[in-house]
Amino acid sequence: MARRNSPEQQPSLARLPVGASARVADVVGVDPTALRLLEMGLTPGITVRVIGRAPLGDPLELEVRGYRLSIRDAEAARVAVAPA
Amino acid sequence: MTESAGGDARKPHRTVALLGNPNTGKSTLFTALAGIPTRIGNYPGVTVEEKLGRFTHRGTTIDLVDLPGTYSFTPQSPDEQVAVDVLRAALPGVPAPDCVIAVVDATNLERNLYLASQAMDLGLPLIVALTLSDVATTRGVTVDAGLLAQRLGVPVIAVVAPRGEGIGSLRDMVVNPPPPPPRVDLAQHLSTVDGARPPAAREAIARYAWIEQLLAGVVSQRPVGPRPLDQRIDAVLTHRLWGTLIFAAVMLLLFTSIFQLAAPAMDLISAGMDGVAGWAESLLPEGALRSLIVDGVLAGIGGVVVFVPQIAILFLFIAILEGCGYLARAAFLMDRLLVSAGLSGKSFIPLLSSFACAIPGIMAARTIENRRDRLLTILVAPLMSCSARLPVYLLLCAAFVPDVAVGVPWLRLPAVVLAAMYAVGVVVAAAVALLLSRTIFRGPPQPFVMELPGWRWPQPAVVLERVREAAWSFLKNAGTLIVAMSIVIWALGSYPRPVLPADAQVGEAEIRGEALRQSFLGRAGRLIEPVVRPLGWDWRIGCAAIASFPAREVVLGTLGVIYNLGDVDPGEEEGATELIRRLRAATWDGTDRKVFTLPVALSIMVFFALCAQCATTLVVIGRETGTWLWPVVTFTYMTALAWFGALLTYQIGTALGW
Repeated sequence: MARRNSPEQQPSLARLPVGASARVADVVGVDPTALRLLEMGLTPGITVRVIGRAPLGDPLELEVRGYRLSIRDAEAARVAVAPA
Repeated sequence: MTESAGGDARKPHRTVALLGNPNTGKSTLFTALAGIPTRIGNYPGVTVEEKLGRFTHRGTTIDLVDLPGTYSFTPQSPDEQVAVDVLRAALPGVPAPDCVIAVVDATNLERNLYLASQAMDLGLPLIVALTLSDVATTRGVTVDAGLLAQRLGVPVIAVVAPRGEGIGSLRDMVVNPPPPPPRVDLAQHLSTVDGARPPAAREAIARYAWIEQLLAGVVSQRPVGPRPLDQRIDAVLTHRLWGTLIFAAVMLLLFTSIFQLAAPAMDLISAGMDGVAGWAESLLPEGALRSLIVDGVLAGIGGVVVFVPQIAILFLFIAILEGCGYLARAAFLMDRLLVSAGLSGKSFIPLLSSFACAIPGIMAARTIENRRDRLLTILVAPLMSCSARLPVYLLLCAAFVPDVAVGVPWLRLPAVVLAAMYAVGVVVAAAVALLLSRTIFRGPPQPFVMELPGWRWPQPAVVLERVREAAWSFLKNAGTLIVAMSIVIWALGSYPRPVLPADAQVGEAEIRGEALRQSFLGRAGRLIEPVVRPLGWDWRIGCAAIASFPAREVVLGTLGVIYNLGDVDPGEEEGATELIRRLRAATWDGTDRKVFTLPVALSIMVFFALCAQCATTLVVIGRETGTWLWPVVTFTYMTALAWFGALLTYQIGTALGW
């Protein structure tokens, strides 16, 4: 949604340091990727933790809903987060 | 193959679909229920694999359909689309199943129930098979299956498929399926979701809220130690330094196994085929029939069967790595590097495999869900220097590259040239992938959302089934065409029969050489001479290039025949040195100018590094992409690249006075 917070205004999952946890505030966008992120369990309110990053810095390894998920910075930047 | 989907009264018959997320133990459950699949093919009109198994339980014949793993009913890949289409009876000729088994991983209940709860809305009888509860227990997670069934309104059967637990109950239930479950009522949860979102996003959020509420009290977590073992393994294997080192070691092991472990089996097959050929030769009278059977049919079959060990070993490794969860980590580790070449982390295993042989590599690309990434990977995979190119490189390096030191005494020029040939393939593949991803395959960046499944032991039955299936489908599909192609090349190289001067004192080798010269193949070689002349080649090299279309290795045999030597076995030192002497002595027709110089040898090597001279690869590309367009594209672009590469090499080499 255009009126939604853009990644500049709200911290995104891509900016979260390794080891940190946060609460998902929103998934920005209305395309299939945004839907897939929601379907994989990154829904508003859920706690997500950054487990690590690949050797070259991208993609990230996350823990959400008790399982491990890997997404790139490009996708992580669309997941707005708030302090856990 | 089925009598009728409805079945008649005397022989009750049911179709049951197995639905689930990837990595949920679905394949293991399939094997436990139905054993070896009775049919593996493609769904009509799409290239997604259709796996069917049949078993009889209490007088009812059950056809079990293993649907491709999917995360939701909003498909994002051809595989997922098929799973949804089968359940909604949207594929022509594929009726909706009579019953659905939703596989739900007990270690990952929330996300697995997302798909299972969507299946409740289908209006079909539904059974939940709760898998991996043994693994969940080791993590301190206990699932109250009875309470879960009560709240869902769907029977839940806990199964430990490798031990056969719960399989009997599951079979009983598919014979007498429950009534379709009630539709999931999300109204209460939808009212709390921001109405500005698109309907699918609202549904996703509401569905997870519904699942969270449903699971309250169903799952209990008992504390286990400071950190579960699989998380500690994961921390090492995805570590920046250790993860990278272990990754390199695993790949080295994989790569060398394909060469080393397969070598004895391949030698055995070659020896066996030679034996059969010798036996056939002794049995049949000299003549066209013997030549057809020995040089055409048997040589063709041998050329196919000899690849089976490499394919089996590669798929053994892939199945083990996939079964334990490492494949997803390899894709995770390599993703960034491959993205810079327009590919994706999931392209890594297929491309690495292609160094041994492009055929299993292209088949391994099935693990890439994204259609664009998969096609790109398939199109550049044949540029990796496969083991069939190695004999060509080795022979030409040994014959024409001077054995001098480069910089340091231990670094010899032939080794540098050999390494350069492998590098040419990789660099060109990266350039082609980058170019294609910016042109034909241009589009929004493809998302990368990949589950990193929990670490677990691979199931031997599933692993062996993967190996068996890969080897068999290769033999069946590629085999028939290769044999046909070999017979065609044999015919072109044998007819018309040569007219030999009556008085000539000639040996068999000379007769074979003259026969080839006068054959259609020889004439074709002369015909294309103007095209290969700028590459520094004479008509005989052009002829060898044409004859090696079915397989690159053939070029050595053809060069041997064409330069009056009869067949050469590149593995035998004597034959090779004899061939080398012949090649070194060869002159242009009617002159004493040597055919083979260093630039010519390099030009041939570059040509073979970049060309698509492998009929099997092209057949497999056609089969895997479901259209003949892509093999044609691959052949065209690779042949063009090979020609320009060879031209550049020869012209620059000559200009520099090599």
